Amino acid sequence: MYQYDVIDRELVNARTAEFREQVSARLSGALSEDEFKPLRLMNGVYLQLHAYMLRVAIPYGVLSSNQLRMLAQVAREYDKGYGHFTTRQNIQYNWPALVDIPAILDALASVEMHAIQTSGNTIRNTTTDPFAGAAADEIADPRPWCELIRQWSTQHPEFTWLPRKFKIAVTGSPADRAAIGVHDIGLKLVPGDKGIMGFEVHVGGGQGRTPRIAAKIRDYLPARELLAYLTAILRVYNLAGRRDNLYKARIKILVEDMGPEAFAAAVEETYEAIRGRDLAVPAEEIERVASFFTPPAPGRALENAPTDPAFARWRRVNVKPHKVPGRAVVVIALKAYGQAPGDASAAQMDLIADLAERYGEAEIRVTKEQNLVLPHMDEAALPALFEALKEAGLATANAGRASDIVACPGLDYCNLANARSIPIAQQISMGLEAAGLDEAAGEVTVKISGCINACGHHHVAEIGLLGVDKKGEEVYQLTLGGVADGEAAIGKILGPGLSADDAVRAVIACVRVFADHGANEERFSQTLARIGTDPFKEAVYGA
Amino acid sequence: MALDSARQIARSTTELPADIEPAEAFAAAAWADQIDVRFATFKDGRGFSLAALLRQGGYEGRLRAIGHLLPDQKDALLRSGFDRVQADDAGEPARWARARAAHIYQPDPGAPQGRHTALHRRALAVRKARAEALAQELEGADPETILARALEVYAGRIALLSSFGAEAALGLHLLAGTDPETPVLFLETQRHFAQTLTYKDQLVSALGLKDVRVLEPDADEAAREDADAKLYERDGAACCELRKVRPLARGLEAFDAVITGRKRYHGGARGALKAVEFDGERVKINPLAFLSPEDVASRFTALDLPSHPLTQIGYASIGCWPCTTPASEPGSREGRWAGEDREECGIFDPALEARAQRAGSIRLI
Repeated sequence: MYQYDVIDRELVNARTAEFREQVSARLSGALSEDEFKPLRLMNGVYLQLHAYMLRVAIPYGVLSSNQLRMLAQVAREYDKGYGHFTTRQNIQYNWPALVDIPAILDALASVEMHAIQTSGNTIRNTTTDPFAGAAADEIADPRPWCELIRQWSTQHPEFTWLPRKFKIAVTGSPADRAAIGVHDIGLKLVPGDKGIMGFEVHVGGGQGRTPRIAAKIRDYLPARELLAYLTAILRVYNLAGRRDNLYKARIKILVEDMGPEAFAAAVEETYEAIRGRDLAVPAEEIERVASFFTPPAPGRALENAPTDPAFARWRRVNVKPHKVPGRAVVVIALKAYGQAPGDASAAQMDLIADLAERYGEAEIRVTKEQNLVLPHMDEAALPALFEALKEAGLATANAGRASDIVACPGLDYCNLANARSIPIAQQISMGLEAAGLDEAAGEVTVKISGCINACGHHHVAEIGLLGVDKKGEEVYQLTLGGVADGEAAIGKILGPGLSADDAVRAVIACVRVFADHGANEERFSQTLARIGTDPFKEAVYGA
Repeated sequence: MALDSARQIARSTTELPADIEPAEAFAAAAWADQIDVRFATFKDGRGFSLAALLRQGGYEGRLRAIGHLLPDQKDALLRSGFDRVQADDAGEPARWARARAAHIYQPDPGAPQGRHTALHRRALAVRKARAEALAQELEGADPETILARALEVYAGRIALLSSFGAEAALGLHLLAGTDPETPVLFLETQRHFAQTLTYKDQLVSALGLKDVRVLEPDADEAAREDADAKLYERDGAACCELRKVRPLARGLEAFDAVITGRKRYHGGARGALKAVEFDGERVKINPLAFLSPEDVASRFTALDLPSHPLTQIGYASIGCWPCTTPASEPGSREGRWAGEDREECGIFDPALEARAQRAGSIRLI
């Protein structure tokens, strides 16, 4: 993985020092809360229902064992012994004290981490395929480009006070495990003429209260021109994006208002005017950054796999093919039955860091499904790995299954929420376990948002729940048929809103319909397309 | 003229709101020599892009950011193109005096030719080291070896620069035999001998060169700086700057390495030429550096290469007609800028190169 040079290190240290100064200016009263708020936000510090929350950037979801151990240490020293992995491949701490945050940032900087631009109207952490560099179906590794975007977007002098937040996702696989269709900018690596890699550029996707699928504005952009093109998109947005209405300030609204063709024309004009040597990524720099992301050496194949059915099931569900022989991609679902999705204790983080070191390449990924991935495991070590994970409650064989639920913090933490998310996810998960539905049904995504801002990604869930407030009551809307990866789609509402208990039952009922009707190897959305919504309506609302 | 002087008188300070339409800002900029951009709130970032846009659109007057601004924004404002920041509330002098960032990941948006970014600095450090290693490896090597190695190392980002002059056929033949798809750059100064242009077409087709790119002076610049087409009489160096240096700079944008036909025997600063040189930005490859005039002559004969028509009437080194005269012996550059204190047109200016070399001693601190 990427390692800082002197320049990267000094930049992060300078930023940490600057924030320390801003905190003391706030504490002395030199900065008003109105002025301090955007400054703290662009350093990852939120004020939530009960306390400050610190969101730490995990650049494109890639962590080393040492970094994960530091995250564990921060959880132990400054939080309540756990951290919460997010849908944007980051980690959040829900209980730090403001005065401690500069010290936390120093600790993070010592392992080349930071919280820069994890919030605020800035370019946020770039996200990508959690299987990058390992996936068997990969065309090109997106991580070097993610790192170049990380550097380009960090403290960008022109784009730190945007109309609204800005999210970029990159995929190097046709399967698109980065959901590029629902990001402000979605980039897909494609080979061009003469095999020179480039990007297909999508703009204006997003979720929130106005879900939109991104429009493709370019079929092929030479990869080295990426930063010039991103600059052009951001400049058009920064100047023309709406600032009069918080809910209409994302780029998706601008793209929609202008029309994708006119938007693309404005970007192309700016791009032509600014492109040049300064913004082109030098070949030597592409080579340098790429050299940090070499594939692992072949591992040892697993011969005489244990006959334990629990191992076999875990291997079938949670272990994915790797492009290098003798290596395997292992998903650690942070979704033990009844657990808060995405939470990991300090002890679990330490253990995972050790296992990644012992059986892999000391590397861990965070997924937008709020899980962790060990990307380069030695195949022969899978049985030992399984036993170690099982002991720590980390071997639930449900990756990609119904109980692998994504949920926002909801009313338990968030001051925007209208309804609870985590307890609903916990109940659904326990219900699915009791009914044995994870095993009976195939792959399906279940996602829950506690308000219309859609942090739980319910719009792109095959089974989605949206919590709303109706005259003081929590009511849940059920949607079916959303898709995040590949050909993104927004789910459609199935019927009238449901109470919390009914919503739990409804999700389980939909999974049961899927289990009953799903042909072999079919995904939920394929079954839905084949049998239509009636069987689901009947199961949820009765005949 | 009347309009110009009216503008001169009217030029003044104009205040614009940060949320102004860019087109209106440009209209205002045409009449102002100082623009104040007023930020109603520090949270509205349009002013940053506005400044960058004005600078990139060619506005060279003073540009001041005023209004509700935080000390934390000062560096970004200066990088975006403002030359001064004057906040309504300028309290906290210590925070306003904070040092500017030592490193930058992005080119300064308001200074199109500004400081090198971290990405660029790292790349140049590597490029320099590799060029030096390559120069050592190829010291004294024959032209074929030097060219083949360069095409391998700089594949996809290398071009050959040719004057299509007296000795050019040799390098072009070498390239055609190795990789005829490699781009060949020709500076069409519009002051060439007619014989040079004919010779160029003849060579290109005889050698089968596939990608010849003709670099012309910018038409607007030429109309402005050389309206009477006699600039060469008044200021030869300025003519070279207009017709060679700037077009070449534009033509080289996409390339990191350029193959030249220079040789040590050309004398002057070229006497110490190496096979590979780093000029502070790009790498120059000189496959013919170590040939003698006799080598060149015998290769011409052996390969049966056509010679430039002017060589038959005594021209040894051929550039533009106003600044080229015949010379006493083959291979000599004495016929270039005869009577002037110049050896080079500027594209291989030794003084510039020396400065670039010093700048090129880039270290990562």
